[in-house]
Amino acid sequence: MSRALRRRPVLGMALVSLIATAVGIAIVLNINWFPVQASSASTEIDTLYDVLLIASVPVFVLVMAVVVYSVLAFRVKPGDLSDGAPIHGNTRLEVIWVTIPFMLVSALAVYGWVVLDDIEAKASNPLVVDVRARQFAWSFDYPGEGKVSSDQLVLPKGRPVEFRIHTKDVIHSFWVPEFRLKSDAVPGLTTHLRTTPTRVGRYHVVCAELCGIGHSTMRQRVMVVPPAAFGRWLSHKKATGGDKSDAGGDTASVTPGVGYGAAVGGLR
Amino acid sequence: MESASVGLGQAPPVSEHEHHGPPLANQSSRVDPQFLGMLLFIISEVMLFGAFFTAYFFIRVVNGDAWPAQGDELPKLVAGINTAVLISSSFTMHWALEGARNENRRALRAGMLTTFFLGLTFLCVQINEYVHIGFAPHDNAQGTIFYGLTGLHGAHVFVGLTLLLMATIRSYRGHFSAKEHRGIEIPGIYWHFVDVMWIVVYTTVYIL
Amino acid sequence: MTLAGRFRGPGWYRAALAVPLAYLFAMGLVVAVRALYGWDPLLDGKAIMTVALVAMPLAFLVGIGCFDYWFYWASGRPTREEDHSSHGATSWRSYFRVNTDHKVIGIQYICTTFFFFIVAGLLAMLIRAELAQPGTQFVDPNTYNGLFSVHASVMIFLFIIPVFAGIANFVVPLMIGAPDMAFPRLNALSYWLLPTAGVMMLASFLAPGGAFATGWTAYAPLSTETPMGQQFFTIGVQFAGASSIATALNFLVTIITMRAPGMTFWRMPLMVWAQFTTSLLVVIATPFIAGSQFFVLLDRSLGTHFFSTGTGGDVLMYQHVFWFYSHPAVYIMMLPGFGIISEVISTHSRKPVFGYRMMAFSLVAIVILGFTVWAHHMFVSGMFSWLRVPMMITTMLIAVPTGIKIFSWIATMWKGAIHLRTPMLFALGFITMFTLGGISGIMLAVIPVTIHVSDTYFVVAHIHYVLFGGSVFTIFAGIYHWFPKITGRMYDETLGKVHFWLSFIFFNLTFGPMHFVGIDGMPRRVADYADKFATINLFISISSFLFGLSFLIFLYNMITSWRNGPKAAANPWRAHSIEWQVSSPPPIFNFDEIPTVVGGPYEYGVPGAVHAVFGDEKRKTPSPAGTVGATAGGGAQPPPESQIQ
Ligand code: HEA
Ligand code: HEA
Ligand code: CUA
Ligand SMILES: [Cu+2]
Repeated sequence: MSRALRRRPVLGMALVSLIATAVGIAIVLNINWFPVQASSASTEIDTLYDVLLIASVPVFVLVMAVVVYSVLAFRVKPGDLSDGAPIHGNTRLEVIWVTIPFMLVSALAVYGWVVLDDIEAKASNPLVVDVRARQFAWSFDYPGEGKVSSDQLVLPKGRPVEFRIHTKDVIHSFWVPEFRLKSDAVPGLTTHLRTTPTRVGRYHVVCAELCGIGHSTMRQRVMVVPPAAFGRWLSHKKATGGDKSDAGGDTASVTPGVGYGAAVGGLR
Repeated sequence: MESASVGLGQAPPVSEHEHHGPPLANQSSRVDPQFLGMLLFIISEVMLFGAFFTAYFFIRVVNGDAWPAQGDELPKLVAGINTAVLISSSFTMHWALEGARNENRRALRAGMLTTFFLGLTFLCVQINEYVHIGFAPHDNAQGTIFYGLTGLHGAHVFVGLTLLLMATIRSYRGHFSAKEHRGIEIPGIYWHFVDVMWIVVYTTVYIL
Repeated sequence: MTLAGRFRGPGWYRAALAVPLAYLFAMGLVVAVRALYGWDPLLDGKAIMTVALVAMPLAFLVGIGCFDYWFYWASGRPTREEDHSSHGATSWRSYFRVNTDHKVIGIQYICTTFFFFIVAGLLAMLIRAELAQPGTQFVDPNTYNGLFSVHASVMIFLFIIPVFAGIANFVVPLMIGAPDMAFPRLNALSYWLLPTAGVMMLASFLAPGGAFATGWTAYAPLSTETPMGQQFFTIGVQFAGASSIATALNFLVTIITMRAPGMTFWRMPLMVWAQFTTSLLVVIATPFIAGSQFFVLLDRSLGTHFFSTGTGGDVLMYQHVFWFYSHPAVYIMMLPGFGIISEVISTHSRKPVFGYRMMAFSLVAIVILGFTVWAHHMFVSGMFSWLRVPMMITTMLIAVPTGIKIFSWIATMWKGAIHLRTPMLFALGFITMFTLGGISGIMLAVIPVTIHVSDTYFVVAHIHYVLFGGSVFTIFAGIYHWFPKITGRMYDETLGKVHFWLSFIFFNLTFGPMHFVGIDGMPRRVADYADKFATINLFISISSFLFGLSFLIFLYNMITSWRNGPKAAANPWRAHSIEWQVSSPPPIFNFDEIPTVVGGPYEYGVPGAVHAVFGDEKRKTPSPAGTVGATAGGGAQPPPESQIQ
């Protein structure tokens, strides 16, 4: 450490912290944290998360800077019998480190609240899907589209969806990581999730609440398809008496097991 | 527990002048330790009732079902009389304590004995109520929480009675005096708590 | 002693006799009740086990002798003069009987809880072995669920919570100048309740249907439907909870009524403050978990309907009641650690704790706020949606009092004279990792983020950053810091530092990557996972094995140092608080005479400042504190003997 910095440790530390913060933020923002974004909620949540990261890095860096600097500067030899400076406190400092975190978390909370309101906003004319959980499988009913029922979740891109989540037995949790959405399925209750799929692709609905022996494997396919393909899939389902979720009905249009490209390509 | 056996060299160094007991602790508060202990215990008991009242709140208020369940009837009157019995036992308890404070052995013994029997009466009436009430804890959630709350309280009455019994026996064996009556006072506080708790249970479960 | 006498007197013989008798009693009771109601068959294994699970531990406690004195008292015989026959340790045997000495109980606590830590840690190793690759390797899914459930329950209820009680048991009475705890026999009972709870939870692996497999949270209605093993958790938790309530009550009474003259609340070491506030939390919150488990137990064994939705029960009620305890419980697992860190940093930086009063107030603030945030564990549970935002705000506000603590600690180091000994290293490691864990907690509190990461490995990462990097590191710091006081020996400093660095590195390599897999879509509590997480999970598993091995260094250091380490001076760190002014280990009754407190506990660097003086220091009695002069002394801090007023 240069001499100038040694004489003005706070300035030096501020400088080092600033650089470390910049580097830290650059690193954390460059990490590819999330799975792909496939719903309207995902973009907002990812941005919120990035903001949280940006807010957190300086806090961590600040703490570490003081710790590391103190250890480097104030460490004494084992036999040293001297004492530190008898400083008991400093009111101004204490006020600062109460107010700044207070304002920071308040701002983040407000931002979080705004995002929450946004992602839960009701859309007009949503596609209603009844998600039914049981040990250890999901099934999906489309009450607005005739008596269609399926054991894979097929959604049209771009149309708002409203999930109504039910369970037959214990608590499960409906989660599609690419949608960033999750809600428990609770006995005796119907829970709701709203979003709009924004990306054509093949994902998974994952059970996220411990529900027994089969919890690990309670995963099923989610397909987001172009609206036209969705219409075709629906009519096919209806034609084959779609309330029985036979695999044949599904394969005909969305072809699980065939590669993603093939399936989606076929739908186009 | 293997590592427990390691600490052989544990015999503390014996100091020159032999001590036969610990130094007397400094009394840093005017509050009596046993009184404070009982108070804290009661706080945690209140919270246990709080957990049961939370269940009651969810079953009755959040779910909004009929209370008591369709077709069931709660014997408000008998329970009301029983409440009076329990409350009066608080007064006899106080009488016993005053007896101890004034070195009045007869009042002490009579007070303890009446308190004990009033409490016992309460418990018997409660059990009788269970037998005749006409619904069981496994009939529906209302039944569950009815038995849950009154049963939890009943268990407390039972514990209180046990404490009272000990204190009664000791008062008949000549314990307690104007100076030394904590053995009456502490179970007494517990007993008052049991009474007050019953008033809360009675009001919420039977009356409201 | 005659054999019959052995069985009659308190101890292991009588306990060994009482436990089978209790089982027979349970059998008899069940048969009698079932005969009375005319149920068939008379012998119901489940019912018998349930009754036995309550009766056997109680019988054990009676047998070992926890209640002897009270029975004696209750039978109305004239009260016996206290003879202190059960106080203090004369040989290793003293640690295996009911002992009323808070120092012995402290050691009993610490050793027992570390035993449970090792067991639960080895279960974690099995978890990691299973998770090293996708698919099923060693255990079937049901066993896997049992593994992490028992792992977490034992870690929480039999390691973190009681080990803090153990450390505090040893040092708090010494710190406040009390000869013992307020209720020594209750203290002994609190300890002996623990092994019963622990053995019960571990024994659940032997139950038909396997160990309890519903996580440490045991959500209804899953927990009301799973096999017998669940009962071991439901009842075991009651014993552990009773133990912690009893200790907490004891601490509160001790701290309120038994402080040395001059020890005002504003002169108490922060360790004592931390124990005080934690105990408040325990006394107020713990009954709620007792309640939640009573409900589960009743639903399971009597067919009641707390959680059956068809008949008016409410499933979410379980979560509200459970978290109303278990959120405060996370602060029960952290506040005592905060106390330890205040002692360690101040002592090893030789500086007064920065902003002492704010440090105490922030503890109180955390306690109060801690009761207003429970539903942040339920953001995706489908509970009342209006409750979410208020809970998000209160949760995030906890960053403020916690921040006060972090900032005050680092300000304490500033311009100190820092001795980078092992306890100090662990304290610094704690600050680093707890800040990270706290920040991930703040992220979890932001509802839209939680909607995505709740119930994923991001939460698992948070748990271990706050619980291992937080609580366990403070425990290590505390153990190293008070090791000389507790054992009278010095630990090996080099091994201690090696232990720190290995733990610090492998801890981060184990739990750091969990943040990534969690956000990327890996749920928690799964025995099997998508192939795309394979590489990173293998990496985590390997790191975790190395992390586990690093603990062996600690174990070796502790055992060998306790046996043959160099003798420790009374006050090797030249600290001011009272526990360091008596010999190492402290005399059997702590003090010849209660000291008088004349100043703050951390007045390092203040010339001539003293925390406590011992009565007749003029006569220079060779009191147990006489060894102080051996190492202490010099510098601005004269050894206590010369601090005659
Ligand atoms: C020792 C235990 C401990 C501690 C101390 C904490 C502390 C915190 N925890 Fe954590 N938590 C757990 C143990 C703990 N937690 C466990 C075991 C679970 C999982 C339970 C389960 O489901 O199994 C859990 C889960 C959990 C959840 C639920 C996740 C989910 O399941 O969806 C949430 C959500 O809000 C949360 C939040 C917090 C917050 C905000 C804090 C705060 O107290 C942290 C405050 C600290 C800091 C913020 C760092 C220091 C502060 C500064 C340096 C000041 C400046 C900082 C800022 C301005 C940000 N925790
Ligand atoms: C105090 C709390 C505590 C502690 C200390 C730990 C310590 C560890 N935990 Fe634990 N854990 C929890 C509390 C804790 N955990 C909780 C609350 C959960 C949530 C459970 C739930 O979902 O309900 C959880 C869940 C949990 C999971 C997620 C399970 C799942 O969701 O599917 C995992 C997975 O990796 C894990 C791993 C570990 C590891 C590797 C350690 C290691 O740090 C352990 C290291 C210790 C040892 C290894 C023992 C001592 C060492 C020796 C005796 C030497 C010999 C060693 C070898 C031979 C290797 N834990
Ligand atoms: Cu369904 Cu987990
Ligand atoms: Cu919490």
